[in-house]
Amino acid sequence: MGELLDWINFGSDPMANAYYPFDSYNLPFDIGYQLWEILGGTIAWLIDLIFPGNSVSTWLMCDAVSTLLALVVFMLLIFLVAFVSTLIVLWEERKCLGRMMDRRGTMVGMKGFLQCVADGLKTFQKENVVPAKVDKMTYMWTVSLVIGVSVLVLCMVPLSSRWFVVDYDTGLLIIMAFFALAPFFILVSGWAQNNKYSLIGGMRAAELMISYEVPMLILICTTALMAGSFNINDIVYAQADSVWYIVPQILGAITFFTCAVAEAERVPFDIAEAEAELVEGWQTEYAGMKWGLVMLADYMRGSVSCSMFVILYLGGWTLPFIGDGPIPEIVFLLKAYVVFFFMSLIRAATGRVRTDQILNLGWKVFMPLSVFNLVIVLLLMTGGVI
Amino acid sequence: MAIRYLDKYPKNLAKSLWVMKPTIVVLKLFIKNIFHRPVTVLYPYEKEWIPDNYRGRPGLRFDKCVGCGMCVRACPTACIKLIEVEDDNGKAVMRPQVNVGRCAMCGYCAEYCPVDAMTVTPEYELAEYSRYDLLYGPRRLHYEGTTEGMEVKCEVTLPSDIANGNPERRVSLFDLDRPELIDKKCIGCKKCAKVCPVNAIEMVEKGVNDKGRPILRPVIDNVKCISCRNCVIDCPKDALEIKEVL
Repeated sequence: MGELLDWINFGSDPMANAYYPFDSYNLPFDIGYQLWEILGGTIAWLIDLIFPGNSVSTWLMCDAVSTLLALVVFMLLIFLVAFVSTLIVLWEERKCLGRMMDRRGTMVGMKGFLQCVADGLKTFQKENVVPAKVDKMTYMWTVSLVIGVSVLVLCMVPLSSRWFVVDYDTGLLIIMAFFALAPFFILVSGWAQNNKYSLIGGMRAAELMISYEVPMLILICTTALMAGSFNINDIVYAQADSVWYIVPQILGAITFFTCAVAEAERVPFDIAEAEAELVEGWQTEYAGMKWGLVMLADYMRGSVSCSMFVILYLGGWTLPFIGDGPIPEIVFLLKAYVVFFFMSLIRAATGRVRTDQILNLGWKVFMPLSVFNLVIVLLLMTGGVI
Repeated sequence: MAIRYLDKYPKNLAKSLWVMKPTIVVLKLFIKNIFHRPVTVLYPYEKEWIPDNYRGRPGLRFDKCVGCGMCVRACPTACIKLIEVEDDNGKAVMRPQVNVGRCAMCGYCAEYCPVDAMTVTPEYELAEYSRYDLLYGPRRLHYEGTTEGMEVKCEVTLPSDIANGNPERRVSLFDLDRPELIDKKCIGCKKCAKVCPVNAIEMVEKGVNDKGRPILRPVIDNVKCISCRNCVIDCPKDALEIKEVL
């Protein structure tokens, strides 16, 4: 039996742990590790107080268990930060859209930020209504998968070289793959709901994804070609070393931005949920918290689009002449919010584009533009400019 | 393919960038709105400026009122009723009671009040929990801080005035109208003198009739008269009528 502070070895280096799960320093894991040392140390001390000299206390504080439970805290932390940043994106859009329409926007607490929380609580209290004639299994599974994939892809986006979940050579491709997964579930979900509006919405989502995924992937490959790697860290630091890729690839940046708006199914490319003509599109039959989470997932995808734009063209978390800076996470998020502001601006300024116009734009304008952008980059690279 | 799409706008390539125009307009509005506050007024917390003669619920200055019933007759929704109340000296007098639930806030009562006792007030938050609470008695109609603008004046200019080279606006319509007696219809019943709220009518003997009884005829004091028409309405033989006095 010992003192409380004997059990808490706060401030120890997680990288000295034999089971450290990452290759490089990871800030959220460090925070989670320290938190677990306090929490687990207290629990171990309490157990030791009641049953002196037991083995459970020492087991709780051993290297392997500490790492495992610190990972749980780490996951919570990553999700919490991503979630709050999505809420900020939501608040930003509501407030900016309000000002663009000469309104005040949300007004509840903290300059309107607490409106998101109030909306969440409201949808949470609603009854869980499932229509009688839907295909129940697919109905529930697809919406879970849409939300789950959106949350996953949001958590996968690294905020800096020390704030990441996985850091390996095809990070960018993994993010894009998960990003492109949701429309499949949307299509199945539209089918499962047994409703013509949902079915049309789901089919439109699939058609949108097919036409805009191709130029987007070409653009990502172009950037990877310039940086010489699919690793997000490498891409960001390659930009910090030379110049932000928005300068040589201005054409590609504009194309990517438009494709990202389309991928996130936002106005003017929101034909999949088209409130004015398709009730709520593929979300028609979802009520209560399911709808609330679907809406949140939409904003998560918008947030991921902005983050991808920042990573690919705006130098990620680095600043020119400064490099990483003291808090690169904040720099990254601020850049993402600036990009999202332009998304809100487009939303306020334009009306919805027709289905055939979207396909025309996707295949006849953005596709050639992305290839053209690739040609420019190739010429620059062979010319030795970059 | 791209060429074929652009063929739609062969002369002006910039037209393909139509999306930029609304975007720039919205951006301008956004920047403007950051510096100038939005036009929305947060109603329960901040209120708009109210003009002096804003037509809210009617108000009453109890002591000025003479109980003539002009407001009752002018009210288009018939929400005003004369009821008997005690004044400060304990005397029973007639004063208007307003059913605000039916009131259209037109302000006619204030406009037509000959003594400017009925006013409009800037009060417009009148929600109550029951219909009974919407009945405003004469004492409840009182409003502190009545200004001159709230006694809505009925200002008119007559064509005859302009023709006579006197284009000034008359402050009250009631400077023009006075009851006039048609002598041969009058039976001298004194009813007009009883109903006159300002005691402007005096019954005067004008000789005797065949049976030797005195002949009574009303004489109207034009200075005291407020043209409320009570005498005209209550006359059993229609012997009084309103005439324009110029």
